[in-house]
Amino acid sequence: MRNVAIVGIGHSKFGKRTDVDLAELAFESIKAAIEDSGAEKKDIQNVTVGSAGGWYEENLPAVIVNEYAGFKDVGTMRVEAACASGSAAVRSAYLSIASGEADVTMAVGIEKMTEVDTLTAVELMGRSGSYLWEFENYGMTFPAYYALYAVAHMNRYGTSEEDMARVAVKAHHYGAMNPLAQFQKEITLEKALSSQVVSWPLKLYDACPITDGSAAVVLASEEMAKKLSDTPIWIKGIGFSSDSANLSKRGDYVGLSATVDASRKAYAAAKISPTDVDVATCHDCFTIAELMAYEDLGFCAKGEGGKLIREGQTEVGGKIPVNLDGGLKAKGHPVGATGVSMTVEISKQLRGEAERGRQAPIKNGVGLVHNVGGTGHYCYVTVLSRSK
Amino acid sequence: MAARDEPPTLHSKRSLNLRFNIPISKTSRFWDSLAQGKFVTTKCADCGKVSFPPQADCPNCMGGNVEWVELGTDAELLTFTFVQITPTSFVDHDPYVVAIGRLKEGVNVLAWIEGADPAKLKPGEKLRIESRKDPKGSAYYVFVKA
Repeated sequence: MRNVAIVGIGHSKFGKRTDVDLAELAFESIKAAIEDSGAEKKDIQNVTVGSAGGWYEENLPAVIVNEYAGFKDVGTMRVEAACASGSAAVRSAYLSIASGEADVTMAVGIEKMTEVDTLTAVELMGRSGSYLWEFENYGMTFPAYYALYAVAHMNRYGTSEEDMARVAVKAHHYGAMNPLAQFQKEITLEKALSSQVVSWPLKLYDACPITDGSAAVVLASEEMAKKLSDTPIWIKGIGFSSDSANLSKRGDYVGLSATVDASRKAYAAAKISPTDVDVATCHDCFTIAELMAYEDLGFCAKGEGGKLIREGQTEVGGKIPVNLDGGLKAKGHPVGATGVSMTVEISKQLRGEAERGRQAPIKNGVGLVHNVGGTGHYCYVTVLSRSK
Repeated sequence: MAARDEPPTLHSKRSLNLRFNIPISKTSRFWDSLAQGKFVTTKCADCGKVSFPPQADCPNCMGGNVEWVELGTDAELLTFTFVQITPTSFVDHDPYVVAIGRLKEGVNVLAWIEGADPAKLKPGEKLRIESRKDPKGSAYYVFVKA
């Protein structure tokens, strides 16, 4: 396998983007990523588009996005791994270069979720389990799925609603420093704890919002990266895994086995251990998901996620800073864009280009992207590094 | 017409209603039995793997030689949630409690708990599965406190 570097990053403003359509929104990131890379459009040999879809009017987003940006005769596809579609797109773009097929590729993540009303979006997400056995008669929602994990985690390890709320407070703290975040406002613990119950014990401030957004990365082979970039960020390893769609088929509800498996594979591929990671994005679609991710990724022992956040170890200056871009909670979670957005964020962190107050100290030059699809249906873990 | 605080937006005139026709011929015995108050599933006659939900092909040995077995209705509560924001097709429903319970056969089942006070529920509690019929006569199953 050949070495592959990220040479260009682009990221749209996240939020309720009623000012742009799907292609216009994707273009914001595509243009920025190409400009940042130093490559020309004609150098890009294929474009993989990560998008879950279903909430916007277009059925074949990859070609819509390419057409608007003026890509013609490029190999393309839309890939789907639910909320990890963006990481699936990065993996596809990575493999194309690693295998020797191409020298410069692009991964785009895009989602436009606010073109349908909120409860319809809730329904589309709720139908993302095992439809007949979980939705038809029982009306499951995404918050409900993660609430089942939260209750089990609270019961087994004594994790509290306050521990979960601390994740939201941290997310909003860093989101306030990220000009591209959906919510750029600090919140208090009291505000999080007293917010409306969505699916007990999860409240409004335990949940990520419904978001429109896009992100893009340009990847290059070692030879091309040397020509294009002074600050290439190398993809050192990708691990991916899966679990059952039907939640009742899982053994327990205190962690995501897809995360455990994907991270072990990624650590092995990159030849690192969790303690080597300087900065990470964890998939915090719900606050409980971030606490479980700390544990499942090996940042702390099982059951100690609550302790890690209470001690401030996942803030700047802590043992392992997590989600310094505001996370899904404050930055927003445009499903298919999220994995690419996380890849952009970790590249920025490793380049030392994050905004004031939210830059992690970089010691080993290693960052980690943790991106979950569904309720642990899919998981992608990508290790990035400043050194080849 | 666009709302006043909204940027220029085309509100599409074309709506799309989706209602899926889901084939259940290979597992209809589950639904038929449920209508008679029996909770059954499939067990592989070759390797002994019990599956829930029932499936016609064994996910363990991939054999197609499955038989129907009756499951007990006693369950232990593993976890639950009280759903207060419901999806659009459930907006007419009162908020509901969803639980996952483990049967002694080792399989887990996800269903509503009927008539339970969510503030008093604790994992580990004993539940029982009962069958119900919705207003259109379709059978479904719920947990009740044992």
